[in-house]
Amino acid sequence: MHKSLLAAGFTAILLTNPASAQTLNVATAGDQNMVDYIKDYLGPMFEKSHPGVKVVAVGTGPGDGGSQKIFEKLDAQKKAGANSDFDVVVIHQKAAGTMVKDELLKKYRDTLPTGKLVTRDTANNSLGADVSGYVMPMFHSQTAIAYNPDLVKAPPNSYAELSEWVKKNPKQFGYNGIKGGMSGVAFVTGWVSAFGGDAAKLETGPYDAATKATWDKAMSDLKEFNKNVVITPGNAGTLDMLNRGEIAMGPVWVDMFYTWKAEGKLPPNTRLKLVSPGMPGQPMYYAVPAKTGQEKLAAEFIALATSPEVQAEGIVKRFNWYPGIDAKNVQPKLEKADWDKLFVDITPEALAANGKPFPIGPYFNDILETYEKKVAN
Amino acid sequence: MTRPSFFGLILIAPALAMIAALFLYPLGFSLTSAFTVPGGGFSLTHFEKAIDLYSTDILFTLFIVITSTLLTALFSIAIAGTLTLGETPWLISSLRFLYRWPLFIPFIVAAQCMRTFLAKNGLMNNSFVAMGIMEPLQATSFLDWRGIIITFVWKQVPFVTLMLAGAMASIDRATIEAGRNLGASRLRVLIEIVLPQVAQTLLVGLVLSFVTMLSVLSVPMMVAGSQPTMMTVDMAFRINSYGDYATANALGVISYAIAGAVAWIYLRHNVKREIAA
Repeated sequence: MHKSLLAAGFTAILLTNPASAQTLNVATAGDQNMVDYIKDYLGPMFEKSHPGVKVVAVGTGPGDGGSQKIFEKLDAQKKAGANSDFDVVVIHQKAAGTMVKDELLKKYRDTLPTGKLVTRDTANNSLGADVSGYVMPMFHSQTAIAYNPDLVKAPPNSYAELSEWVKKNPKQFGYNGIKGGMSGVAFVTGWVSAFGGDAAKLETGPYDAATKATWDKAMSDLKEFNKNVVITPGNAGTLDMLNRGEIAMGPVWVDMFYTWKAEGKLPPNTRLKLVSPGMPGQPMYYAVPAKTGQEKLAAEFIALATSPEVQAEGIVKRFNWYPGIDAKNVQPKLEKADWDKLFVDITPEALAANGKPFPIGPYFNDILETYEKKVAN
Repeated sequence: MTRPSFFGLILIAPALAMIAALFLYPLGFSLTSAFTVPGGGFSLTHFEKAIDLYSTDILFTLFIVITSTLLTALFSIAIAGTLTLGETPWLISSLRFLYRWPLFIPFIVAAQCMRTFLAKNGLMNNSFVAMGIMEPLQATSFLDWRGIIITFVWKQVPFVTLMLAGAMASIDRATIEAGRNLGASRLRVLIEIVLPQVAQTLLVGLVLSFVTMLSVLSVPMMVAGSQPTMMTVDMAFRINSYGDYATANALGVISYAIAGAVAWIYLRHNVKREIAA
């Protein structure tokens, strides 16, 4: 089935995109803003410095599903012995681990001039998989609780306080479950880290299939908790409901929150709180497929994308993401106001203390599936 | 009967090949994947898992689709009946003009509109409040099972009405006139004379609507939160989050079974009629 579908997809791409000598195909998972970022910002910049090159951005869909599609395509092309028609891929953590394991990616980072600017642990360890050298973080994004200070005078500081708050204020907290986007998933994995026992083990392993049995209490509490919350339709659904005043609090992606606020789609006084013991965030990675015809161009594209200038102007200023390379390289390139904007509600200290990675792959899946079994069904 | 001609077979060959390649092969593939474990061997593990995790969602799906089908039937009969038996020309012409619009709007666009229309502080409730019909505090959100049903019915009524009104227009007017002359009310004429003559068409329209609604992903995903949700969302989630095609296929097979049951009801009814005729 996959092959016939892919063949049809190929035909479509070939028909719409007459192959010029120098086309750099960038496939990106994630929301539309990722495609826009490459199409409207990065692509034109790269085309300017590389005359005759055309950057084509393809979006494969939000969430892990988008990365899964990229994986399936590269995998099918590898099995067919064909060159991949993606030259640069932008993927989530979970898929990065699988793709490195299946040898679908090139080990390219050490050849990049910007490779040594990366310091975060997530550049080497992707949900427990060693991806060192194969990926460059594009940005880091973080989840936090957004709240309306008119309705919530004293926002909760921790998951435990939040749980109490929800009991006293039923139907004022909303999140999107686990099937409507990653902000809900982040809230749930954060819940399990907070109440499920050994949080450090979830982040670093080793994996033990018996661990999920210890989450029963946390999951049944979450089921109780859910009775007093609103399940929203999607990441944007939570923000929409905050905007219309239908809920007073809910977990959101920090970058989406700032972007919506800047566009006037959220009340200007809405604020963020990163509760303890922590909520997860994740990077998106730039990677190069193992069999691409445009290896050199791909590397140059990623070097540009991870340069301090682009990280400052594109990642931090325009899209409100945290930089993928070490922030101290980015700070000098930014106005103080732009820098501060990202760190007003969530201080660098709070981010360091409460910004957690997602649990490693197998625990991540266990958490989702236990949630489906014990909480949702 | 004549033997099938060689050229006839060649003529339908492309169509047959399309069905085999684009429908039968994927169907076989999905059945195989649902009933086997890696390494081969027949197994019901994936079904156990599907039931274990999604039993509520399966019931929820049935509830949504059956309720929507019944409501669709009700509204379609009302609209088609008005078009056929109505005696107010301007009402009929404006209804005829209006009712088809949702046909041209894709599910995903309908879902997007409903998302802001039906919200607690959305367009609908705000309009009611502004008109003084409702107090702001009474406003509730319809973005749950009710929202899904409203969207489905809104979208499917024109389709069924289109078929039904066509069928009603082609029945012998004399039967209607006879009923009216003998003093039957229009409602009675609709129920006792018109509907029995177009029941077949109504059934076809409803079966097609049922199957369509069973397969829509965008509406449950966009209109309602995910607990509980419809099976299509679960299938997408199984694939997107776990790359687990087997359980998704098991859910797919359950969907086929539901759609198959409805098709069976239709076919049985059809055969009965043919025997009677």
